[in-house]
Amino acid sequence: MSAQGDCEFLVKRARELVPQDPYAAKAWLITARTLYPADFNIQYEMYSIERNAERTASAGRLLYDIFVNFPEQPVVWREIAVITAALRNDSQDKHAQFLKGVFETLPGPVQCKMLLKATEQCFNTLEKAEMLLLLLKRFPESVVQHGVSLGESLLEAETVENLDTPVNCFRKLFGSQEVGGLKSPGRGRSQRYVIDGLSEKSSVVTEPWERLLEMVGVVGSLCDWQGEKANRSYSELLQRVSELCRYMSATDSEGFARCCAQIVTCCTLVLFHSAFHYVSAVQPSLFQGHTSLSSCPWVLLEDLSSVYTDVEVERKHTHKKRKLADGREKTMSSDDEDMLAKGRGRHIVVNKAEMPGWAETVEHFRTARESWDLLHSHQSLETEFVKICSAWKTEMWMWFRIFLTDMIIYQGQYRKALSSLALMSSLQLQQNQIQNSLSSSSSLETQRAIIQQASCHYALGEYRMACEKLLEVVSGLMPQNHEAVKSSEEQRKPRGKTRKGNDLRLIPCTSKSILPFCLQLMLACFKLRAFTDNRDDLALGHVIVLLQYDWPQGENLFLKAVDKICQQGSFQYENFFNYVTNIDMLEEFAYLRTTEGGRVQLELLPNQGMLIKHHTVTRGITKGVKEDFRLAMERQVSRCGENLLTVLHRFCINEKIILVQSLP
Amino acid sequence: MSDIRHALLRRDPLSAAKEVLYHLDISLGSALQSSTGPTPGLEKSTVEMVEEFIFHVPKDRNIQPKRMSCIQELQLLEIMCSYFQEQSKDAVRQIIFSTLFSLQGNKADESRMAMLGKLVSMAIAVCRVPILECAATWLQRTHSAWCVRLAQLLMDDYCTLVPCAISTLQNICSASPRFCCQLITAVTALYDSSSDELTPPPALLEMLVGWITEDPRLLLLTFINTPLNSSLPLGCLEITPLLGLLRWCVKAPLTYQRSRKLALTNGHGESEKGTAYEELYSKLHLSVLQVFLMLQVHLTEQSLIGRLAVLPVESVATLIEEVSRLCEKLTPLPAANHIQLALDRLAQALQVAMATGALLFAREDLRTLCSRLPHNNLLQLVMSGPVVQPPPHSGPFQPNMYPHIHPGRPSVLSPHSPHQSALPSPHSPHPVLSPHPTHPVLSPHRPLTAHAAHPSLSPHAFHPAAVGFPYRPIH
Repeated sequence: MSAQGDCEFLVKRARELVPQDPYAAKAWLITARTLYPADFNIQYEMYSIERNAERTASAGRLLYDIFVNFPEQPVVWREIAVITAALRNDSQDKHAQFLKGVFETLPGPVQCKMLLKATEQCFNTLEKAEMLLLLLKRFPESVVQHGVSLGESLLEAETVENLDTPVNCFRKLFGSQEVGGLKSPGRGRSQRYVIDGLSEKSSVVTEPWERLLEMVGVVGSLCDWQGEKANRSYSELLQRVSELCRYMSATDSEGFARCCAQIVTCCTLVLFHSAFHYVSAVQPSLFQGHTSLSSCPWVLLEDLSSVYTDVEVERKHTHKKRKLADGREKTMSSDDEDMLAKGRGRHIVVNKAEMPGWAETVEHFRTARESWDLLHSHQSLETEFVKICSAWKTEMWMWFRIFLTDMIIYQGQYRKALSSLALMSSLQLQQNQIQNSLSSSSSLETQRAIIQQASCHYALGEYRMACEKLLEVVSGLMPQNHEAVKSSEEQRKPRGKTRKGNDLRLIPCTSKSILPFCLQLMLACFKLRAFTDNRDDLALGHVIVLLQYDWPQGENLFLKAVDKICQQGSFQYENFFNYVTNIDMLEEFAYLRTTEGGRVQLELLPNQGMLIKHHTVTRGITKGVKEDFRLAMERQVSRCGENLLTVLHRFCINEKIILVQSLP
Repeated sequence: MSDIRHALLRRDPLSAAKEVLYHLDISLGSALQSSTGPTPGLEKSTVEMVEEFIFHVPKDRNIQPKRMSCIQELQLLEIMCSYFQEQSKDAVRQIIFSTLFSLQGNKADESRMAMLGKLVSMAIAVCRVPILECAATWLQRTHSAWCVRLAQLLMDDYCTLVPCAISTLQNICSASPRFCCQLITAVTALYDSSSDELTPPPALLEMLVGWITEDPRLLLLTFINTPLNSSLPLGCLEITPLLGLLRWCVKAPLTYQRSRKLALTNGHGESEKGTAYEELYSKLHLSVLQVFLMLQVHLTEQSLIGRLAVLPVESVATLIEEVSRLCEKLTPLPAANHIQLALDRLAQALQVAMATGALLFAREDLRTLCSRLPHNNLLQLVMSGPVVQPPPHSGPFQPNMYPHIHPGRPSVLSPHSPHQSALPSPHSPHPVLSPHPTHPVLSPHRPLTAHAAHPSLSPHAFHPAAVGFPYRPIH
């Protein structure tokens, strides 16, 4: 008889006996095993009997034997796959519980090996990652060894499955489960990478930022980070690493290199944390899925509350600014420094009543900027940070792009800001294509970008471009009731006075707030042109129309315009009666025509120029002209009650072409 | 001494017996304290006094000692019980017990035996562990004939007279496993299945199977705790009950077959009961095989493989002889299945015992011994041995050393005494490779009472009781 024949005989006898006399069956198998200790089927049969009877301890003991002695048997792998599957899902099923129990009886190293082998057998990445997580959860000391590969496999899966949303199942899995695992002892610098994969927060995980912070404490202590301890806040964390950075860069380069990982990791986390919170305040719809009524986007723009101040005070400064703007395109780097210097200590004006959490938001913005600056304060830090960014494809993160743009604007690097805004628009376009919807929120977001472009062009002295952009925005706006706006405008008036021109303002992205800004921006564009030594009646006329808004804030400027008209002795602005309804202005112009007023020749009616030419030929006709003017004035006075914003809105839309063309 | 005797003679028998006990305690206790040697010799006069006043053997023909009444005897037993219970010194207790009950080969032995039976029976009833421990030692050192006598007395009390009393006996296992181990050996010697009367009573069988499946190591307790070099008296019980139990299991199908034959002639249907016993025997047989596997671990660890016959070769030969005789007797009957079952069990036992080193047989010896047995496939296989192939795992089956995961817990089998718990933790992940620290090579077989957590007795596969084994912490 052959050995195989013997074994088959023995197993067969045992199998026959199982139903009637299981003890005898086992006795047969024990005997068989002493005869043929190397035969797999005998031992597997022993295991099967115990498993089918759900006897945990003995099944575990036998599983241990066959796992150790017959690691290459496919049947063993099938068995392990079944057991690990039971471990992965939280089934309360009795048999699953039994299988878990069997696994628990195994010695730790064998459990670890078993999980690893089972992981190798997984083809589906998510399943594989689940297995690895299971492994890491049970054997935290193996994090060093396998954590990286887990992270890698998740990232790989992301690429393969082409998921663009930052919150996907892989990251959720990683984020939510890995934290616990990392809390157990274990060492190794490679854990840093584990966190790296994590810090893309998923809003699905509860309190991800707090848990992340917890993790920083844990990992810090594991990686022997300088003075790292748990229970810091993010700002404390930043403070800690910036001190560390300052201290280490003052000492030796070797020490600095050692701290590099710590500084970059912590700082990056603080950056993302703060930027995330800033953006979720500024662009809430990005994280809420849809805009609720209470949360509108906010937009960071130049503060134009000084637009009504006398042009003489500003002129020199503005000239300098324009010069800078021209020179920028040639020598970018030196200019950047200049702008950076300018960006230091800029103030962000917010209407506190409109934005309840303004202080926090501004603080997040500041912290994020500081983290960014710290990350770019040293070449090695920057290199490391760039690596992280490219690994995480941060350039694809819409929200981070929004923060970056605002930061660049804050820094005064408007040219850079414009290209950043262009990037943002393309990102937005992509996302809208994915979502296949152009909801009201997304159009507001689009407008948000355009109005920032306008603001940047203005800051660069590119008035025509600025005007073009802002008119594009205005055409999409609905004029509000003027009175409501006026009251809110009055609220912020006293604060605006003391500020210099290079402040910034956070404005809600609504028609109500945007239209006034556009009007002020236009005013700012035309103001300089209107008051140059050269005569430009068209620009002056536009200024006068625009000065009506927020009257009598622009009274001084208006009087200056009137002075200019008096000096010129004549003024031609054919749109005057279409768009000027301000009673004070009308009175002033009516006065200008009188002898006391200096008999200024005013050509304010459409096609009046032609008329006057005609009348000079035929005497006495001027009287009819005078009559036309008087009638127009009277009619205009009756229009005083008209909604000024509607008038100005119409002005922007109807005169769009002429407005753009009248700027250089 | 004679002064004392005269004084005692005047007393009533109970108070005299008490006085003797008192005297023994004083004299032996102080003798033990003063001498550094192992055991102080017993004075002849002391032995005589015990025989005269406790066992009531007349010293002089003319003086007939007063016998105690039944009540007085009961009172004396009670006094003894409480004496052994309260004597805190193991050595004193042992020596007094042996002074009282060691057989002297004289006419006092009968009443000695009777008194011992009553005392142990009482100790079982009221669970007096010190007495049971002394009785366990007694069962080790006394000729098996007397041990069988004691077993018989206890079986009469707990099995035959009052059938439901067996539950009292059942509970003793956790109190004194040593006693139970010896008791099992004794009852297997008593019921050697040589006749219908000498098959184990069902209640006893059930109890023993319960004990053994609860913790199979019970069967090895005496073996493990007996020093290798200790000279045991001739004719004492076997060191393990393994062979006795095997005899039960192997012969059971044959004897039940025989009793069924009788039942058929008597007209009683006993087949249902028979089935229940069949299962018990099957369970018992499996347990015995499992104990062999445990034994192998122990032997390997002690480097005793091939050097120590745990199963006496002659006894095994006798068993084979008996089986072949029984088979011959049954051959005319249609009992092939039962014969095959018996032979299967025999073959399994022989194979596993040989493979685990418990039985030092060569396959050739086996072929000679088994030549008269009827044909059986498995037996044939065992006799010829496995077909030799170049296997990946060569050599006989070696149980893997199984690293345990749970912290050790005290076992019922190890009553902890201070000096035992002071032993260093004997856990070692590879007991085979690293000799046990508590077992110096020169005296490899010292008592192992503390070894409830002995890693060599790791649970082997197929152990219902495996959970109860001590585990060593890994994390």
